[in-house]
Amino acid sequence: MILLHGFGQRYDLPISLALYLYAAAGVVVISFVLVYLFAGDQVGAKAVQYPRRPVPALVPVARSRWPHVIGGAIGIAGLLAVVITGLFGSPRPDLNPAEYLVWVYFWAGLLILSGLVGNLWYLVNPWAAAYDAINRFVRLGPVWKLPNVGIWPAVAAYFAFACLELTTGMANRPWLVATLALVYSLVTLAGMILFGRDEWLEHCEAFTVLFNIIGRFGPVEAERDESRRISMLYLRPWGVGLLQPWPAGWDRVIFVILMLSTLAFDGILYTSPWQDFNVVLEPIWLPMGPFGFFFIRTLGLVLLTVTFLLVFITFMELVIFLGRRNVDVKATIAAFALTLVPIALVYNAAHNYSYLVLQSQALIPLLNDPLAKGWHLLPAVAGIKPNFALAQASVVWYAQVVLIVLGHVIAVYLAHLRAGERFRTAQRALLSQYPMLLLMVIYTMTSLWILAQPITKETG
Amino acid sequence: MSRNRIAVVVGVLVAFVIVGGILIYARSTSGQNVTFDVTVTGGKTMSPSDLTVHQNDTVTINIKSDTDGEVHLHVYDIHFETKKGQTVTQKFKADKSGKFPLEWESTSTDLGQLIVNP
Repeated sequence: MILLHGFGQRYDLPISLALYLYAAAGVVVISFVLVYLFAGDQVGAKAVQYPRRPVPALVPVARSRWPHVIGGAIGIAGLLAVVITGLFGSPRPDLNPAEYLVWVYFWAGLLILSGLVGNLWYLVNPWAAAYDAINRFVRLGPVWKLPNVGIWPAVAAYFAFACLELTTGMANRPWLVATLALVYSLVTLAGMILFGRDEWLEHCEAFTVLFNIIGRFGPVEAERDESRRISMLYLRPWGVGLLQPWPAGWDRVIFVILMLSTLAFDGILYTSPWQDFNVVLEPIWLPMGPFGFFFIRTLGLVLLTVTFLLVFITFMELVIFLGRRNVDVKATIAAFALTLVPIALVYNAAHNYSYLVLQSQALIPLLNDPLAKGWHLLPAVAGIKPNFALAQASVVWYAQVVLIVLGHVIAVYLAHLRAGERFRTAQRALLSQYPMLLLMVIYTMTSLWILAQPITKETG
Repeated sequence: MSRNRIAVVVGVLVAFVIVGGILIYARSTSGQNVTFDVTVTGGKTMSPSDLTVHQNDTVTINIKSDTDGEVHLHVYDIHFETKKGQTVTQKFKADKSGKFPLEWESTSTDLGQLIVNP
């Protein structure tokens, strides 16, 4: 079995060399066109102002309880389905709904959808919904105050989740996925009860932190009054929300870098350079037995993350040097980190597109017998086979290249606005953005390169 | 950014996509008859292991195995019921592009793949 991502088969064909070269050339040309067009733009706080359109008609809906009730019900039902089918269903990942719900619908699907429409996790987060439901009957107040830990706990949880998906090789075991979901649920609920709902979610719950960042890319913006009630909803262009103020800190920079590196690692795992790396280090990890597999992959993920981080910091030092202004280095680096999110998000969509389209359909026939007990709950869907029409290689290639170029354009534009805000004169701002542009070209090229790699076969 | 500038950016993007599309379509040479003679050994290996065709080619695969069993071509969902020493033939149109594994069904062992270029 070829095991990419958490589980499941992929039928992707690497982008052809011609298309890869063409897209790469396009990225470079478009980058320079953009820089030319940007010359002489706004500086200061004005630079990061973006257009948005108020949608008062939706405010009553957003204020009502219904989006939360429906979203929460979906979230809790999904979580229960994962735990029940994972623990009591088929041990085969391709026959167990838990695997599809976690890796396809939640991890690939909800993430991409949230980038497209806005932070959906805010509505379906099952732990927040469970907490709110309990809180209606029993008044829950924080017992202790959460120490000033930034989002480091969320960074750790996110890294652990990435390891489960990519480095343990055990993400395809339904019972393990279900057990970990249960454990994480208990920890999260306990954390919310002990330290306060939002305190815990915003600092320690990895998915809330992740989807908050993804939601910034989305086109929906909510404005709240002092009592945190929604006072107005706005529609905005994709990506510009990433320009909104963000607390500065290395924890947040590393979280963003982890988003980039874990995604890239998922693609790199099946390329020949990775295989070579494995072979070279065989004397170290082979004697470790089954643990060696986990060790070498985790080492690879850590090395890639550190590399991404060092490259990013180096380029940011250049940006600040060329901007020639005494800025707060940490705050500037954190602010620019978010401008890389569009590239990561489109790479995610490009990388997962056909996987999502095909595997999401494979769950449907399982509804007939979700626990593999020989039931016939929905005989009508039992024979449904995935439709391939939307996952043809030609469609996938087009979608991938267009997505990657679009993401690149959005990222370059955001970095330009950010530079305008941070550096005093237009000329300085323009000069300072060259290193960032170069970094983005490198990063986009890396994404394309991974998509064009002949995927090597892996047995195991 | 002014409207003119946005128009330039959109224009560049559209031109980029169109040229890319022409590039892809100009390359395809599909609709031919292709035949592969494949040997499967011990339900573990297959030679040749990569079968490359173009979309809409008519593909004939002859599989000769030294053991009884079944070879499964994913997505196309074609099964070759192999008998020791005999050749099993399946003919089909490669209407879906992508990379599809050929698997020894009973052990889920990857034997090779059918690569259908668009």
